[in-house]
Amino acid sequence: MATTIIEPGFIQPPSIEPPFLRQPNASVLFGERSRRLMSLAEGHAMADFLRFMGHLAEAQHHALNNLGTPKLPDAEQIMLCKTHGMPPLGTQTLLRDASWREGLSTILKQVSGQANAATQAAIARIQALSETELDIFADRLLSGDYAGLDLAAAPLIGAALQVYWVRLASALEPGDFPRPDVHTLCPACGSLPTASVVRIGGVEQGLRYLHCSLCESEWNMVRIKCSHCESTKGIAYFNIDGGDEAVKAEICDECNSYLKILYMEKNMAVDPVADDLASLALDILMDEAGYQRSGPNLLLFPGSHDA
Amino acid sequence: MQVNRRQFFKICAAGMGGSSLAVMGFSPAVALAEVREFKLLRSTETRNTCPYCSVSCGLLMYSLGDKAKNAKLNIIHIEGDPDHPVNRGTLCPKGAGLLDFVHSPNRLQFPEYRAAGSTEWKRISWNDAFSRIARLVKDDRDKNFIAKNAEGATVNRWLTTGFLAASASSNESGYLTHKVVRSLGMLAFDNQARV
Repeated sequence: MATTIIEPGFIQPPSIEPPFLRQPNASVLFGERSRRLMSLAEGHAMADFLRFMGHLAEAQHHALNNLGTPKLPDAEQIMLCKTHGMPPLGTQTLLRDASWREGLSTILKQVSGQANAATQAAIARIQALSETELDIFADRLLSGDYAGLDLAAAPLIGAALQVYWVRLASALEPGDFPRPDVHTLCPACGSLPTASVVRIGGVEQGLRYLHCSLCESEWNMVRIKCSHCESTKGIAYFNIDGGDEAVKAEICDECNSYLKILYMEKNMAVDPVADDLASLALDILMDEAGYQRSGPNLLLFPGSHDA
Repeated sequence: MQVNRRQFFKICAAGMGGSSLAVMGFSPAVALAEVREFKLLRSTETRNTCPYCSVSCGLLMYSLGDKAKNAKLNIIHIEGDPDHPVNRGTLCPKGAGLLDFVHSPNRLQFPEYRAAGSTEWKRISWNDAFSRIARLVKDDRDKNFIAKNAEGATVNRWLTTGFLAASASSNESGYLTHKVVRSLGMLAFDNQARV
């Protein structure tokens, strides 16, 4: 029987510090998401929706490849943010350059071929907006002010904002980010997380990272802790009986909220945005169980519940 | 402008008709019908400390069941706690076998007594066990307690009995153990099971 003798250094010693922040990998992020959405769509009750979202992610990948580095905050600004533990790419403070709208128009052009009539109409409505109106739309979306927003257009604008912030977050140096005291918001852009991922491999084995809904950065937070109120009491996990074990809802009985948690050990291919969309049933069951969701997904906006 | 960034996002069956999914021309009807057939399964992950040695590795214990509904939790998996600074998710072979330790059919659940020379274990009550231990401890201490040494200095020591406690105890139980054992004059006292 042949025995493999492993060389020294093959197993990473635990003395290597795991990264606090994982910057987005811009070259593969949206391509992988697109493939994940397409494979989740197979035999799914919302197959047509997931497939279109797959096309949208593909368009995000395309738009990102066609755009260079956007205008980054200057060194002084970055240093100031770092000193005060503030996100250097904060949605409320950063001045977007015009390239986010270029990304948007690339995305719209590419997805219009696959879009149904209602989405085509939404695309036309966005294309009719002036630059100022687009910026106002983006500001409202980023500040979570969804009341009265054109919800059919919102995921398309959200997708373009994701592309813009991924370009920013992947262009900064790892040393540019602060390690803030508050762990519930993205240290890069200050946004809420979409979900968290329990990772596999190397020093990240078994560690939980929260995944930013906007810039797709991931930051470490210890497990069995509420990602909304940071309580470590009353944490439990719900999944659908007989369903996907890689996707659970982490609930907190202290603040009555939940956020999905994905286990790469159960399925290596999980993507926070894609698997969140595909597990809409879990959201509905969690709502019925009396828990409120604490983080957004910029590709799906809930309607008013008393509509 | 809405500035509260600590809002909740209510995704519910009633709101699906007005959601971005529906207004983009996709029907949530099939997915909503499917939800009716699904049931939620509750599980917990709990931090604990390995009971074996004084390295005190962090553990994650996974259990199934609903504590809120008074059902008994069933531990289904135990692994090293990746967030724990001591072991960072790793466990030694002994710690990795803890699930079998928890569910072992040979686990001692009540006091048993084997008389000297006998091969048979007999179940006894807690009261009998406490009385017997107290009697034997007192008899041994009365017989062997040393109040003064050869030079006449007070030493108050008791060398014929030792005490083995647990390395993974909390500070509080460590304090109590120390108080009880030392106030009896006992010197042989160990908290490490010597893996």
